[in-house]
Amino acid sequence: MENTTIVETHGLTKRFGSGVLAVDSVDMSVRRGEVYGFLGPNGAGKTTTLRMLVGLIRPTSGTATVAGHAPGDPKGLARIGSLIESPGFYPYLSGRENLRVVADMASVKQKRVDEVLDIVELSTRAGRRFGTYSTGMKQRLGVAAALLKDPDLLILDEPTNGLDPQGMAEMRKLIKDIGQGERTVLLSSHLLGEVEQICDRVGVISNGKLITQSTVQELLGEEGVLVRAQPIEQAQDILTRIYGADAISRQDGAIRLKTKPENSVEINRSLTTAGIGVSELRPFERSLEEVFFQLTGEKQGS
Amino acid sequence: MIATIKAEWRKSRLRPGFLIGAGVIAGITILVYAANWYLALHPLATRGGDRAIVSLATLYPDQFVNNVMGAAFPIGAAVAIVLGALFAGSEYGWGTVKTMFTQRPGRLTVWGGRLFVFGIWMLILTLVLFGVGAASSVVVASFQGHAITGPAAIDLAKGIGSIWLIFTVNGAIGLALGVLIRQSAAALGIGLTYVLAVEIIAVRIINLINNGQFKNVTEQFVNQNATALTQSFTSAAFGAAPSPAISADHAVLVLAAYGVGLVIVAAGLLRLRDVT
Ligand SMILES: Nc1ncnc2c1ncn2[C@@H]1O[C@H](COP(=O)(O)OP(=O)(O)OP(=O)(O)O)[C@@H](O)[C@H]1O
Ligand SMILES: [Mg+2]
Repeated sequence: MENTTIVETHGLTKRFGSGVLAVDSVDMSVRRGEVYGFLGPNGAGKTTTLRMLVGLIRPTSGTATVAGHAPGDPKGLARIGSLIESPGFYPYLSGRENLRVVADMASVKQKRVDEVLDIVELSTRAGRRFGTYSTGMKQRLGVAAALLKDPDLLILDEPTNGLDPQGMAEMRKLIKDIGQGERTVLLSSHLLGEVEQICDRVGVISNGKLITQSTVQELLGEEGVLVRAQPIEQAQDILTRIYGADAISRQDGAIRLKTKPENSVEINRSLTTAGIGVSELRPFERSLEEVFFQLTGEKQGS
Repeated sequence: MIATIKAEWRKSRLRPGFLIGAGVIAGITILVYAANWYLALHPLATRGGDRAIVSLATLYPDQFVNNVMGAAFPIGAAVAIVLGALFAGSEYGWGTVKTMFTQRPGRLTVWGGRLFVFGIWMLILTLVLFGVGAASSVVVASFQGHAITGPAAIDLAKGIGSIWLIFTVNGAIGLALGVLIRQSAAALGIGLTYVLAVEIIAVRIINLINNGQFKNVTEQFVNQNATALTQSFTSAAFGAAPSPAISADHAVLVLAAYGVGLVIVAAGLLRLRDVT
């Protein structure tokens, strides 16, 4: 089971009628049981790719196999739950009634509706009309609908989009829980932190091209620590002596040090004993932007 | 198909548009009966003598099938177009097209289920029309002390079938436009404009050319046939009627062809186009 893939694409390409090359020869593979992050900035082609995987959009060229079938094949769809872009429901029906409609459509037993409402913690508000839902509630209902089939593969397109920080955290926890066990989750996002928190592997897409596909660790590259201190020049001297000039760089008035975050205690001690005031000391994450610029071989801000 | 029909019925049984549509048709029918009753009882003195423009005889139960045929069209056709456009078009605005297309059934199965339920709704509207018409005629007859005798069952069946066909075909115009334009507002606007203005004007103009040389063209227009079909339901109570240029059989065939054609075109669009 370990090495089998549940999503496999070869040269998947979509050129829209308008001439936009939205997805450009994407070869992507998602393994069974993993949580896969599909990462890319706005307009990169994430949604277009996911739409092709569920058969909503016909590829211009290339092939895809999803859950063992061609995209859009009813046999495959029966094992895929998806939430693409924004949740689409009937505004004049209650949340629960909307799920009942979807359950009928998917030939799922009606008792499953209350189960998924429980999972997304929407049971108490399921009787209200969908039109009156907040963004967060709509998003939850979308996830609930995607879970109705108890799918092998769950495809979620930017599920935290439009949520407040608490909503985001809750949604991420939910996805983590859902992704445990046999189930595969394919999640798109433009937030590196989000992907880092929940995903096992990532594919990075930019301008329609899949630039890299790797584990999160590989993508983030070396670990580091960010130091803000007064006086900064003196701090840099001390740290250079300990870690070597290669490990050190300056950015926005802070020092970036290539080392394990566990060394923070050590760093703090060396600086304070030297009489330097440390105002900030934390593991630094490279921003998605940096990773991108690095991956696409361009300089930031140029 | 059963699954999609179940889902479709569940989501449209409480749909406000259909309930309002049924209400409009009921209201119009009552209004037509009320107005005609008043006119029948208050003959116009000005029009060369004491003549009623509406005969009370047309308002009694035995004539109610013939009477509602006139009441239903074109208001009923307009309602059907609006409902068709809403039914097909609003799914795009709500983003429910993608929800429905990613469950399990294929696109054509989903469309088949939708059409079935839409057809049921058109039948419900038809039955509302006939039910309210029958009730209104009974009320008139009771007040006028006229005997209550129903129409022949065969006439009732033919009437219901004809109105269902007219509603469904006009609904199919709305459905096809909704699918084509992928939104409801423009679809219902275009559909209504066509039925209430464009076709009528086009028929007048074409019929004028060369003394009606191209009349056979306008005889294939959708609501010329619908009108002819409703006018084929008449009786002595309504006075002398000009014999219609389009026979009822021809009208049924043309209407059915329009309905099937529109539904197939829409199915093709749904199947081939990307859902974005
Ligand atoms: N229906 C369409 N017709 C024409 N171009 C389109 C269509 N849908 C998307 N595009 C274009 O394709 C490209 C990729 O869009 P897509 O929605 O897949 O990006 P995305 O990665 O999902 O972005 P976001 O993070 O903003 O959701 C964009 O340039 C977009 O303008
Ligand atoms: Mg997107």
